[in-house]
Amino acid sequence: MFGRLLWKMLRSNRGRLAVALVAVVSGATVISALLNLQFDIQRKLTQEFRDLGPNIVISAKSGGQVVTPGVTVASNSADLLTESVIEHTLEAHRTSGLAASAPFLFTVARVAGTPVVAAGTWLDQLAKLNPTWRIQGHWVAARDDEDQCLVGRKAAQQFSVAPGSQIGLDYLGRHSQLRVAGVIDSGGDEDNQIFMNLPAAWNLTGERPYISLWQLSVSGTSASIGDYAAQLGGALPGYDVRPIRAVTQAEGNLLDRTRLLIASMVVLILVLTALCVLATMMALAMERRKNVGLMKALGGSIARIMALFFAEVGVLGAVGGLIGCVAGVALAHWTGERVFNASISPRWEVFPLTIVLMIVVALAGALPLRLLGKVKPAVILRGE
Amino acid sequence: MAPLVQIDNLRKEFGNVRALDGVSFDVDSGEWIAIMGPSGSGKTTLINILGGLDTPTSGRAIVDGTDVARLDESGLTRFRAEKIGFIFQQFHLVPYLTALENVMLAQYFHSTTDEREARTELERVGLGDRLDHLPGELSGGEQQRVAVARALINHPKLLLADEPTGNLDEANEKLVLRLMGELHNEGHTILMVTHAPEIGALADRRIDLAHGRLAHVPARVGS
Repeated sequence: MFGRLLWKMLRSNRGRLAVALVAVVSGATVISALLNLQFDIQRKLTQEFRDLGPNIVISAKSGGQVVTPGVTVASNSADLLTESVIEHTLEAHRTSGLAASAPFLFTVARVAGTPVVAAGTWLDQLAKLNPTWRIQGHWVAARDDEDQCLVGRKAAQQFSVAPGSQIGLDYLGRHSQLRVAGVIDSGGDEDNQIFMNLPAAWNLTGERPYISLWQLSVSGTSASIGDYAAQLGGALPGYDVRPIRAVTQAEGNLLDRTRLLIASMVVLILVLTALCVLATMMALAMERRKNVGLMKALGGSIARIMALFFAEVGVLGAVGGLIGCVAGVALAHWTGERVFNASISPRWEVFPLTIVLMIVVALAGALPLRLLGKVKPAVILRGE
Repeated sequence: MAPLVQIDNLRKEFGNVRALDGVSFDVDSGEWIAIMGPSGSGKTTLINILGGLDTPTSGRAIVDGTDVARLDESGLTRFRAEKIGFIFQQFHLVPYLTALENVMLAQYFHSTTDEREARTELERVGLGDRLDHLPGELSGGEQQRVAVARALINHPKLLLADEPTGNLDEANEKLVLRLMGELHNEGHTILMVTHAPEIGALADRRIDLAHGRLAHVPARVGS
C-alpha cells in the first residue's frame, strides 16, 4: 500500500513536483558536470603539465656536469653518470606513466672557433620530452643516427645554418661534421645549443659511457611523480633523482585551487537547489494540510504519514539526480571540449554521488513538510 | 455490563468560550444515539473528544474502557485507528485515491491492507461497480457511502457520524440513513450529530445540547 500511495501522490502533485524536479535536475546536471570535471581535471592537468617538458631529472649527487675540455673523466667521474646503469635501472622500474626519457651529455664544443653547448642525447625522444618545442625542418627519428643534428634557433642564426646545412664541431682536436636536420625553437636556453645523438657526442668527446644527466617525462599527479622519483632514487643510491619542483608544485597548486572552486560551486548549487525545493514544498505543505488532518483522523501516525511525504521527496531527488547525471555527462563533455580542448570521460562514481547528494538536498528542502506533523485534525476537518 | 461510552462532567474551553460545560451521560453498546442542538451548542466538540480528535479541559470520556482524556498523541492515534469509525458531513475522502484505495487507507493506518475485504465492504454499501472511481467521479451519496465503508473497515467499537446527511439530496439522504439503520441492526454503536428532528427520531435515544450543557437526555429504550 505504501508504494501505491506514493505513486498516487506523485501523480496527483505532478504539476508542483515538476517544478521541484526541474530544480533538482538543473542542480544535478551542473553538479554532475562539475564532479566529472573535478575527477577528470586531474588527468587533464597532468597531461597539460607533462606537455611542459620533463618532470624528473637524474643527475650526480653534485648535479649534472658539463664536460669541459681538458678535464678528464677520471678526475670528475663522480659528477657523471654511467648511461647503461641508468638505462638498466629504468628498465627494471618501468612505469606505465613514462612518456619519454633520454640521457644527456653536455659539453662545450666549438664551431668555427666559437664555443657552443653541444648536447648528446636520444634525438628520437627529444620531441616527446619537449612537446612545446617547434621545429623548422624535421626531427631525427633514430637514436643511432650519428650524421645528423638539431640546432637551436639562436645558434642557427649565429652560425648561419639552416635545415640541410652542414656544421662542424671541434672538441680537443676531435672534429665532427654533422648535417642540420632541423632548427628548434624552444623559447629557452636550448635555442643556443646543438643537439646530436649520444654516440656522436661520445665520438666527439671520447667520454663513452658517461652522461651528465637523464631526463624523464612521467604522467601522473605531483604525488605519484614524487613517489616514482623516490622509487628510482632508492634504486640509484649514488644518484640524485628529483622531480622538477616548479612543474609539480604548479600542478598541485592549480589542482588545489580548481578543486576549491569546484567544491564551492557544488555547495552553492546544492543550497540553491534546496531553496527551490523548499519553496515548492512550502506550497505543497499548505495544500496537504487537509489530507494530513484526515489521515490523522483515520489513525495515521505522524511517522507513517511523514514517511510517505519524505519518500515522495526522496523519489524526486533520485529521479532528478539520475536525469541530471546523464545531462551532466553531456555538459562535462561539452565543457571539456570548449575549455580543455579535450574530451572529458564520464566517471561512474559521480552517478551515485550526485544521486545521493540530490536526495539529501531534496529531503533538506522538504523540511517544511515536518510542519504537517503539527496539524490538528479537528481544526482541519472543521474547514479552518 | 459496563456502558461502552461513559461521559462524566466533561468540560471543554476554547479561551473564554466554554464549548462543553459539565456534560455527563452513558451509551450502551449497540445503541444509536442522536446528538442534537443548535449551532454552537457543542455537538461537534463532543464528537471530536469522543473520537480522540480533541482533548477535554476536564472531566472523563471513557470509550471501551479507555479514558480519552488521559491519552498522549500516539495513544490517541492508536485509539482512533482501532476503536473509532468517523463519518463526516464533508465526506473527507482523499481526492487522488480511488474508492477502493480510500477504504484501504484506513486499513493501512490500522494494520495491514486487505484488498478483498475492502472490496467486500464497498460492495456491501452498494458500490461494487465504483471501486476504481475517484471521489470526483462519484455523486455525494456515493462518496458518503465510501466514507461509511471506510469507517467500518477496521470493525470499530464506536461509529461517530457528524451530520452524515448534511450535504446530501433527499434520495441519497434516505440511502445513507437506511445504511445507518442496517449498521445499527447489526449491533454497531452509533453517535450521530444531526440538526434534523426526523433523522434524530430514527435513533434509540436523543441527547439535546444547549450552550454546552445537556438540555434533555431521555431514558434508555426499555428502561
